[in-house]
Amino acid sequence: MKIALIGNPGAGKSLIFNQLTGLGVEVNKYPGSAIELEYGNVCYKNEKIELVDLPGIYSLDGDSEEEVLVRRFLEKDGADSLIVVLDATKLERNLYLLTQIAEYSLPMVVVVNMIDIAESQGLFIDTARLATIFGTEVLPTAAILGKNIDRILPLALSSSQSPVLGVPYDHHIEAALRSLEKTMGTPRRKNLLALQGTGDDAALRDSAGSIATEIEQRHQMSVGQIIATNRHNFARSVAAEVVKQSPEKKRFDLDSILTRAFPGIPILFLILFSLLLSVFVIGSWMESWIVGGFTEFILPPFAALGLHPLAERIGYSVLVAMEAGLGIAFPFVFTFYLGLSFLEDTGYMTRAAFLADRSMHRLGLHGEAIIPMVIGFGCAVPAVMSLRILKTRREQTIAAFLITLVPCSARTVVVAGIVAAFVGIIWAFSIYLIIFILIIITAIVMSRLTPGEQFGMIVEMPSLRKPRIQLVIRKSWLRIKEFLFIAMPLLIVTSVFLGLFQYFGVIDIFQSLAAPITVSLLGLPEYASTALLFGIFRKELAFETLAVLSGTADLGSVMTGVQLYTFAIVSILFIPCISTVAVLYKQLGAKIAILTSAYSLFLGMLIGVLINILMK
Amino acid sequence: MRTSLREDYLEAILIHTGRYSHPPSAQDLSEALHIDKDEVSAHLRELADGGDLRLRDDGRIMLTDQGTATGKQIIKKHETLQSFLSEILGMDRSSASDEACRIEHAVSDETIDRLGDYLRSPVIQPPAGEPAHSCLRGHQGQSSCGYAQSLVDYEEGQRLIVRDILGRGCSKRLLDLGVVPGQLVVIKRKLRNGSIVVQVKDCDVALSPENASAICVERIP
Repeated sequence: MKIALIGNPGAGKSLIFNQLTGLGVEVNKYPGSAIELEYGNVCYKNEKIELVDLPGIYSLDGDSEEEVLVRRFLEKDGADSLIVVLDATKLERNLYLLTQIAEYSLPMVVVVNMIDIAESQGLFIDTARLATIFGTEVLPTAAILGKNIDRILPLALSSSQSPVLGVPYDHHIEAALRSLEKTMGTPRRKNLLALQGTGDDAALRDSAGSIATEIEQRHQMSVGQIIATNRHNFARSVAAEVVKQSPEKKRFDLDSILTRAFPGIPILFLILFSLLLSVFVIGSWMESWIVGGFTEFILPPFAALGLHPLAERIGYSVLVAMEAGLGIAFPFVFTFYLGLSFLEDTGYMTRAAFLADRSMHRLGLHGEAIIPMVIGFGCAVPAVMSLRILKTRREQTIAAFLITLVPCSARTVVVAGIVAAFVGIIWAFSIYLIIFILIIITAIVMSRLTPGEQFGMIVEMPSLRKPRIQLVIRKSWLRIKEFLFIAMPLLIVTSVFLGLFQYFGVIDIFQSLAAPITVSLLGLPEYASTALLFGIFRKELAFETLAVLSGTADLGSVMTGVQLYTFAIVSILFIPCISTVAVLYKQLGAKIAILTSAYSLFLGMLIGVLINILMK
Repeated sequence: MRTSLREDYLEAILIHTGRYSHPPSAQDLSEALHIDKDEVSAHLRELADGGDLRLRDDGRIMLTDQGTATGKQIIKKHETLQSFLSEILGMDRSSASDEACRIEHAVSDETIDRLGDYLRSPVIQPPAGEPAHSCLRGHQGQSSCGYAQSLVDYEEGQRLIVRDILGRGCSKRLLDLGVVPGQLVVIKRKLRNGSIVVQVKDCDVALSPENASAICVERIP
């Protein structure tokens, strides 16, 4: 028995899924897609039911990854029953998707969720009437209060029915559908897709294309527009029949503050700044515990084993890699994810995107790009993964270059540990200033050079709501798992290699080979090149290695202020860390991964040499 | 200067600015109106003295508020007349346009208003020579509501009916969110830079300025 949850984003699907399945949820990539689906098993009356939470979508006809995935799921995998989740407060728009789902003629039950919020807004929904119109069971629920959630599965198991309604399309469209059905022998649903230029049947698309052109000339409107209009009009007439609205009470709308330029923009800065600050404070505190634990309880016993030097070297490298991974992942990345998921679940990030839209345009991007940028302050790896929300290759490329420059939490550790501690707090801020100027210059140059057209932002701003802490934690946990999955193996492999290099003296050779650059161009001590090399592995390791190689934690006593400043800025820019390069390669291909690395290497060297020349 | 000549200039400047998204130079106007370049310069100085426009340092010509208002009025007259001549009387579009060019200077505001009422077509016609609805295949990328008004021309709180969606606005997402011809939308927020939040079917949708300007709308009286 397989049951899938389907609905608009923000209709409360995840919360219902969570309440139905409880623990024991599995997350798997859907075959052939980058999107992960949540699967959960439930036992009901001795029957095992597999529950799938499909990604939130607005339509089944589009080309976005989510829409293609859900379409494929409905066509290929099918489901014994669909649970269609509608948002009662936005019923008309949600019915639009339902009209499309109905065309798949799968057994289903309809859940009208958030009925409590709708009632508080003076909206009353006649679910019995809705059930008659659609010919399926309709259940009003309030997932936040847990109301009627226990009735969903029994209803889906006992009374799932294929809906009986059909959207009355424009008569030209209907004629085209009939003629395609006759000539090509394809079902109505596929013909509708083909008329809009999508679907995987090329022959069908071709013959539909010529009919579509004819219809478009007659209507002076695209077929997609006609079909969407027909569906919306149908949804409107249904909504008019089932929604009774009593005069709405005037309520205070938080958006009257948040989306205005003032005080919206200061609030945006305040929120982002406090997010980053709290991540830094909490992260540093947690990191000191993790690193302290390793150096006190794990490394000494391992050293006491008295293994063969080579084995000891390798084992030590693995342990250090784990220390590095855990030391950055949980304190900084996880804390950051908690804050970010919280913000996302309130719906605030779309307000941020709206406010940032104009400034982002100047950088060749648009409002939604603020999300990868903000994530980049936590860690570049998830930031690159989130580039998927940008629709065009051009935007992804520009944003990828910028993300590799954004000071992530590991780089903040370097700035704090080297510059703020030994040179001065003002100088630490000057590094941020330099990086921001570089980001802006890079963006302006990139937006000129990168081919492709710029598209704007079209984003629904969901109602602001109180996040559910358990959902926030779960989302952060899934994300940190993904992070560890990418970063950990790489950290361990790189660490072992570096350990072996050290063991066989390769590092010393590298150091002397790099000496002309390190010593004469950058004005740094010879061993700094090794520290920089380790920085590729994990940024703040540059700082720690430097302390080890110079033989003292008091870096101020062995290097001048200019040297420390140069070292910090070079190690921050320099090549992005190995995990970032890997995820760039995975997400955007080898070319972008190499280009961004080469670019940041060039920038790091350039700025380092400039500082060395200017300040000496 | 003759009134009709002044109006021709203002109209040409507006159309050029709309079409190429930068103001014209004297050279552009000379080509558009088939008038000698030296004469154009003289005319432009006269118009500038009259407060209709101002010459920018880079040689491009910007209309003042007064000039824009007059120009828009003329364009509206032109469009109404042309629609009437071609759609109701059945003249071909280009001779209808030529004819409209001559009548537009003499016709009164009232006649135009009444003609407009008479026509009241559900779809606002774009300027001559441009693809009618750029949502059609092969016309992606165009984006200007022609002589009609777009979302960005209105202020917060305005209730509007969507009439047409052009070029870049033709994204599937916009259609799916309910921005289709005939739909009622309310402007909930408009930032000074042109970013807009509209309420469509009880949902708030945030739009970049370029998307908002591709959505042609009509005010609800």
